[in-house]
Amino acid sequence: MIFNGIFCCTCFGGQKENLNKKLIVIAVSVMTFLLCAFSDGAKDSEIQAFHIAGTTQGTTYAVTYYSEKELIKKTAIDSIFSRIDQSLSIYKPESVISQFNASDFGIETDVHFDKVIRKSMEVYKDTDGAFDITVLPLVQAWGFGTEKVGVLPDSSRIKSILPCVGSDKIRLRNNRLEKLVSCTQIDVNGIAQGYSVDVVADFLERNHIQNYLVEVGGEIRVKGKKYPGNKPMRIGIETPSKNEFEKTGIQKVIQLDQGAVTTSGNYRRFRQSGSQKISHIIDPKTGYSAQTSLISVTVIADDAITADGYDNALLLMGLNKSLRFLEAHKNLQAYFIFQKPDGSVSDTATAGFYPYVR
Amino acid sequence: MQTASRRKFIETGLSALAGLSLVTHPGFGTTAKPADKIRLGIIGTGSRGAGLASLVKNIPALSLIACCDTIPANLKNGMAHAEKGAKAYTDYRQLLDDKNIDAVIIATPLYLHYPMAIAALQAGKHIYLEKSMTYDIPQAIDLVKQVHKSGLIFQVGYQYRYYSLYHRVKEIMKENWLGKITHFECQYNRNSNWRFPVSDPKLERAVNWRMYRAYCGGPLSELCAHEIDVVNFMLDSHPLKVVGLGGINYWKDGRDTYDNIRTVYDYPNGVKASVTSVLSNAYNGYSIRILGDKATAEILRDKAFIYPENINNAKGTVDGVTGATLALTTQGQGVELKFGKPGEAVPEPTITALQDFAHCIQTKKQPISNVETGRDGSIAIHMGNAAADTESVQLWKPAYSV
Repeated sequence: MIFNGIFCCTCFGGQKENLNKKLIVIAVSVMTFLLCAFSDGAKDSEIQAFHIAGTTQGTTYAVTYYSEKELIKKTAIDSIFSRIDQSLSIYKPESVISQFNASDFGIETDVHFDKVIRKSMEVYKDTDGAFDITVLPLVQAWGFGTEKVGVLPDSSRIKSILPCVGSDKIRLRNNRLEKLVSCTQIDVNGIAQGYSVDVVADFLERNHIQNYLVEVGGEIRVKGKKYPGNKPMRIGIETPSKNEFEKTGIQKVIQLDQGAVTTSGNYRRFRQSGSQKISHIIDPKTGYSAQTSLISVTVIADDAITADGYDNALLLMGLNKSLRFLEAHKNLQAYFIFQKPDGSVSDTATAGFYPYVR
Repeated sequence: MQTASRRKFIETGLSALAGLSLVTHPGFGTTAKPADKIRLGIIGTGSRGAGLASLVKNIPALSLIACCDTIPANLKNGMAHAEKGAKAYTDYRQLLDDKNIDAVIIATPLYLHYPMAIAALQAGKHIYLEKSMTYDIPQAIDLVKQVHKSGLIFQVGYQYRYYSLYHRVKEIMKENWLGKITHFECQYNRNSNWRFPVSDPKLERAVNWRMYRAYCGGPLSELCAHEIDVVNFMLDSHPLKVVGLGGINYWKDGRDTYDNIRTVYDYPNGVKASVTSVLSNAYNGYSIRILGDKATAEILRDKAFIYPENINNAKGTVDGVTGATLALTTQGQGVELKFGKPGEAVPEPTITALQDFAHCIQTKKQPISNVETGRDGSIAIHMGNAAADTESVQLWKPAYSV
């Protein structure tokens, strides 16, 4: 507004008869400025986008918020992620999760760890064990864990690991997560990104930010509109790629006023053994990589930890079982990209998903 | 007609290679009886020939029973890897007269390849001829005819055709990982005079034959030959024309082969391959970069990396993208291409090439690296040198493919 006024001044400058106009313009500008400064909500045109991007949890993150002034700096976001890593990263030997994995009987939890474990147990029970954080020893054996593995595991190796797997072998009691079997190890990578998105989103809201989009490794939570323009934010669902690095286009665009959307895909992390692709999604019951026609599952839920907790489970369940499951879970909407028996790629979604599609 | 027969050769060769990946293949069982072994002679046991001799020990189907070299020290090196009772020759014609020998490896200076190969065919020996195939174009064309007439197995020592790394790269090209491929950038550089020590001044030309055009085509025929063959292999084609410049601008030591040469080959559909050898810089010594509109593949000695292009994925029209997590390790840097089977060591490609040579003899199939692919490589090399020598465009003549 102010700049607009000054611009007008220079336009009209030079002629004496325009001097009055000039003064009026300045006066109006100043008044507008004062009005804005004292009014509660900023005018559309004064709200701008602030972008923060960086890396965390082995991937990238991006935060966009709309405000009339800068309210959050990158260092604040990075310190949140760093604190979460101290709790949940299996790549940090001193983290709470690593200490749990190294322990014989369990360990005292902290806030992040406690919340993620509680939600994980809830999703475990709700999905009849399709989502199971105790899958880590299997994930390691298949070479998707913290260490590179040359040889693929044989059936006797898988058989020997299975007794360590199962969330019924861990128990949250008071401030402790206990192990019933000492070889049980957990990996919350299937849910931690969603949780982190929520932690950052809550942080933004505590700082009076009402319009934002938070994304960590393709998991998103969004609220409000984008400015200037007061338009809804558009979220693209990625077209599955052929390999780990290919950057593909957008398959579908959806709009959410408020909520979370996450995607679990088979297409980016896999190992090739001859012509066979071994997915990084391991079935905790069989010990083998998920055998499913699903290529990716996108879930919409109120918060990102919920959406992220269920997307892997749905991928493992397969299309038909997932659709039946979602019939009884109206708080979740999902979009599926899958391979038909003839090899062609198709998509489908729950009825409640379609209203979000643009 | 000719193209069809070449394709057939390539297919049969590939299926033979597929058989190789089975460790338990009957042709390579460690229990092969001596009578089943292919009795082998090596003509030329200099650095390369002696190296091949040392690898033959790893291949149960082959038995090295004779070596030939005119330089006593070389002959001794070759014989050190031969069977007990093996014969040492100084005249290759006597080795060829040896009726006990089924097959020969020829690893001599380039100018000797053609006369020795013709003599070996006449003696009824299967041939593994080191690359590049022939000293000039007429020899390449004639050798194709002679091999066809003989019915014998004839393999050219382009071992990268037997390396799963290159097969994997070709596979991902077919799967369109790289997008539309428009260029190859090949270099085979080293920072050395490329000379071997000479014990007796009289042996200078025999030892350092790579320095003289009377014996070979210099860096293009002795170093870049592999890369020209790789481009032919990747594109299932041969170049249509070539321009080039070369010179002796650094190692002014009496050599008459180039110490630097840079050529650009034109392939069908406008695909261009630059092929370079510089003997005064070793950065990334051996490398082939394949440029596609979606990614670049960079092939080094024993690994390859993929560098994805930053393609605008329509993010501009959306505020965020949800998808499977893109690992940080794959962003803005090369991704190492995995090849071979997980946990299984990939054998030295020359061993695979020699194993396949034995397998082709046993099954009477022509190899993947055969007289026709060898001819295409040799003609391309000579065209490249001629382009640099005459500073003029060299065209692939229709008569070359007949």
